[in-house]
This record gives sequence, C-alpha cells and structure tokens, in this order.
Amino acid sequence: MRLTSLSATKLSTLIKKKEIKAEEIVLAYLEKIKESEKDLAAFITILEERALASAKSIDQKREKGKLAGVPVAVKDNILTKGIRTTCASKMLENYVPPYSATVVNKLEKEDAIIIGKTNLDEFGMGSSTENSAFFPTRNPWDLKRVPGGSSGGSAAAVAGGEAAASLGSDTGGSVRQPAAFCGVVGLKPTYSRVSRYGLVAFASSLDQIGPLTRTVEDNALLTQIIAGQDSQDSTVSSQPVPDYREEMQRELSSLKAAYLKNMVLEGIDPEVKETYYRTLSVLEEEGAELREMDFPSWEYALACYYLIAPSEASSNLARYDGVRYSFRHPRYSNLKEMYLNTRSEGFGQEVKRRILLGTFALSSGYYDAYYLKAAQARKLICQEFEKAFEKVDFILTPTTPEPAFLIGEKEDPVAMYLSDIFTVTANLAGIPALTIPAGLSQNNLPIGIQIMANFFQETCIFKLAFLLEKKVKFGNNELN
Amino acid sequence: MNPKIDLDHICTLANLKLTREDKKLLESQMIKIIKWVNKLEELEFDIFKGELDASVSLSLPFREDKIKPSLPTEEALASSPEKSEGFIKVPKVIEEK
Repeated sequence: MRLTSLSATKLSTLIKKKEIKAEEIVLAYLEKIKESEKDLAAFITILEERALASAKSIDQKREKGKLAGVPVAVKDNILTKGIRTTCASKMLENYVPPYSATVVNKLEKEDAIIIGKTNLDEFGMGSSTENSAFFPTRNPWDLKRVPGGSSGGSAAAVAGGEAAASLGSDTGGSVRQPAAFCGVVGLKPTYSRVSRYGLVAFASSLDQIGPLTRTVEDNALLTQIIAGQDSQDSTVSSQPVPDYREEMQRELSSLKAAYLKNMVLEGIDPEVKETYYRTLSVLEEEGAELREMDFPSWEYALACYYLIAPSEASSNLARYDGVRYSFRHPRYSNLKEMYLNTRSEGFGQEVKRRILLGTFALSSGYYDAYYLKAAQARKLICQEFEKAFEKVDFILTPTTPEPAFLIGEKEDPVAMYLSDIFTVTANLAGIPALTIPAGLSQNNLPIGIQIMANFFQETCIFKLAFLLEKKVKFGNNELN
Repeated sequence: MNPKIDLDHICTLANLKLTREDKKLLESQMIKIIKWVNKLEELEFDIFKGELDASVSLSLPFREDKIKPSLPTEEALASSPEKSEGFIKVPKVIEEK
C-alpha cells in the first residue's frame, strides 16, 4: 500500500480505524516530497516540523475530524498564521500573516495537516506557474511541460504524490486548468459558496477558492468542509451546505446536458476533441439526454475577462505600496518615490502588465469604451447561461483547448490568455464548474472535461462527475 | 488601427515606473491586447447601466454589533517594513516651508 497515492478519504478512514498513524502518513509524504521536489518544485514553503507536530497531536486525539491525518497543500495566496505567505511575489517574499484564512481554519478543525504552501503565478496571474517570482513548477506527467496555472503548485503536488489534496484559487480557471493539465479533479465552487477571508484578492467579483483532489469523493468532502457562512466574509451565501459526499452517491434525477457546436471547437487539439466526444458518448450510454447548444457570447468572454480581471486587480493591488506589507524599496527621497520604487521593483512583468491594462480600462475617457463594455458583455454571458439552464442541467466542455504545453512555449501574453477560453465563462457568470480527468493523450498527458451547472448545483456536478469517474478509464494512479 | 495608449500617464496613475526597455515591450504588448479586446465593439447592447449588478444577488447580511477582541497592534504591524511606537513609519508627507 503506497500512502502517497491513496485518496484523502481512504487515508482518513485508515486513521479512524487505527490501521495507521497520522505520523506515518506525514513521514511518507515528507519522504516523497524530498524525492520529488527537485523535479517538480511545487512548494514555496514545506512545513516539515509543523506537519509532524500536528500529526503527533492528532494521533493523541480520541475524537478525530473528517480529514484526520490528511496532508493538504495550500496555495501560497491563502493566508496561514505565522507561516510566510508570498503570493509568489517579491512584494510579499517575507510577509508573515497575523491570521489564517477561514478555509485553512476549517481544514485544520477537521484535523487536516497543512504540509506546505504551493507555488503559483504571481498573485494568481497566469496559466502556467512560470510567472512565479521564485521558480517555475513542472508537470509531474512530463517535466518539460508546465503544470498549468495559476494553482500549478497545488495541482502538481496532488498529481505527484506530494499532498493528498490541495487548495487553489480560481479567478478565470486557475484551479480547473492546472487540475486538467495534471490529471486531477478540480472545482471552482459557485461564487459566494466559500469564504474568501484570508485569500489575497486578485479580482474580487471573480475569485473563488476550490479544492484539487485525486477523486471526486475527496473533492466533495473538501468542498463540504470549506463551504458555508463566515462572520468574517459578508460575501458568503447563507444557503445551507449539503452533505455532498453522501448526496453524490444517489442517482441523478435528470441528466440533460448541453454540448458545444463543432464549430466552436475548431482549432482545439484533436485529441482533446476526441476525448470530449468520447465522454459525451459515455454519457449517452448512461441515458443522458444530450443537445447541441450555441453560446454566441462566449466568443467575447476572454476579451471581457481580460478587461474586468485586470481592472479589479489594478484596484486590489494598489495596497502594495511599501507601507504595510513587508517589502519597501531601500532607496527613496520622498513618499511618492517610495511608492514608485517599491511597486516597480516588487511586482513582476505580468502583474505590471495587468495593473497597467486595468488602470487603462478604468481611466477617464476609456471607461465607457472598455470597462463598461466588458461589464455589459458579462451580463450577456450571464443571460445566456440563464437561458441554457432552463433547458439543461449541465453544460459540458473541454477544460482546456490543449493538453499541458511546454515550459517557455507561450511567450506572447495573448497566446497564454487563450488557455482560459473554456474556463473564464463560469467565473464571469458565478456558476460552479468542475474538471475531471477523462483521458490521456498519445504523449501520456492528461485531458480534462469540464462540467458546469447552475448556481449552487455542486451536488449535481459531483453526482455526474462521480458517474463519469466510474465509467471513464483514466489511469490517475499510474503516475504514482 | 492601433489604439492610442499614453503609457506614461497610465504609469503615473498606477504608481509604476518602467525602464526604457520594459516600456517598449509593454507598450507593444498592451497595444496587441487592446486590439484583441476591441472585439467587444462588435457587440450591440441595449442593457442599461443600472442593470449591471453582481452575478449572484446577495442581500446585505447583518450581524450582532458585539465587541470582540481584535488583532493586537503589535501583531497587526509585524509585517510592515518600518514602524515605531505602535505606528507605521512613512517618509514625511507635509513639507516645511
């Protein structure tokens, strides 16, 4: 039995049955991290001592939580009290937060063990984890390739056996795209489902925290734990959180799913397309009622996203000016110069590009032509989803237009932005979306399929994903 | 047609300073991105500004106005680069005449 390839659910069951100790699990994972980190570089901070201490105290406990002894990796833009949280930026290289994010507290309350903080594209801005100020992370399936981004470290850690599950954040696909590239399950929950207290803000109308896991069941369990009201975040919905893990075992009462017109799929990788159609036919065999649908507004989704997200980012990142958060440029003669030097030195190229783009879109004389236009396009996208969900329960798409690309392959920012073509719409509309590994390319690279549903329909998404997981052959554990 | 971007002005608004090389590169990349997002111009809208609300409608939640302990000053300021006697220190803002 290889501990580093078991699911989180399985690990916590073993602990509860007293067949294994949390300390043994943590030691096995730390050993695996030692062995793989030189190749993967998934972690910015590894919490060896802290994880071992937590494991020992969990082993002493009589009543154990739902995630007892499960090593979880946390994206390094989610605050962990007393543990450096860098956002993979020089700006926050030495920032030690004075409190933990609600999601971290919730995981630890269920006796999960935070094993480390994972690498990302600086402040979540990117689709490859190459934009980290420290180092790029590599894809465990092929070390020459990117793990996706921005939660690339979280995806690589789970796929590479360095953590049993992880948390990421998703603003335009940052959980789902790396999950697809690394062959794991990733969810962006409904906007407002999960507390963002302690998530470093990138684009506040789009950001959501979501889990990356080896199985659908694990994903349901983690979502259940992190979701729900929080007195520290007024943007969280008061809707009760269902027992996703229990509910997903029940059959779907209705399986009407929309698929994309062939025309929309022009230009995407043929193997991705093939996997998409194969998954659709599996669903059909399961009695799904499939219908082709057209989403004309999606053509504008990326342009809309790349105006709204940078606009919000330019405002959110204004707080990094050398006053409050760890980094201040050593040379300045007045306040203005301190701001300028700190920000120019502290931010990387992609972050600067997005701040400038957002500042431009919001600036006087351009606001109506850019930001307002994007907000209108967003409304159009929302309306299209609304109409679609009157007719179907799900919308299925590929998660990404191609499998993991090579490190350094996409130097042109626009080419990189195109990676998010299928994922940004769910963020713009606020609906939940999950990616599930559905096949391997001839090069042995994972291919993901995305399931989208209406607001707060996570239960239905898990049900369908659970069904697909059983039917679609995907050798996830072969990697380990 | 290339969109006109006054990068110096945008940099001033964003509190960023670019090297000459970065400026050249970022300017060309931004022009490319702006041209790309200009695709939105094709869309015809009859949506009023007032209708552009958030994607998920939420009512403003209230909680009891109870005093709870907050973060101690020392902890709250721990990560700021320069501090003194419970305050953050910044360069002088008001000049003497």
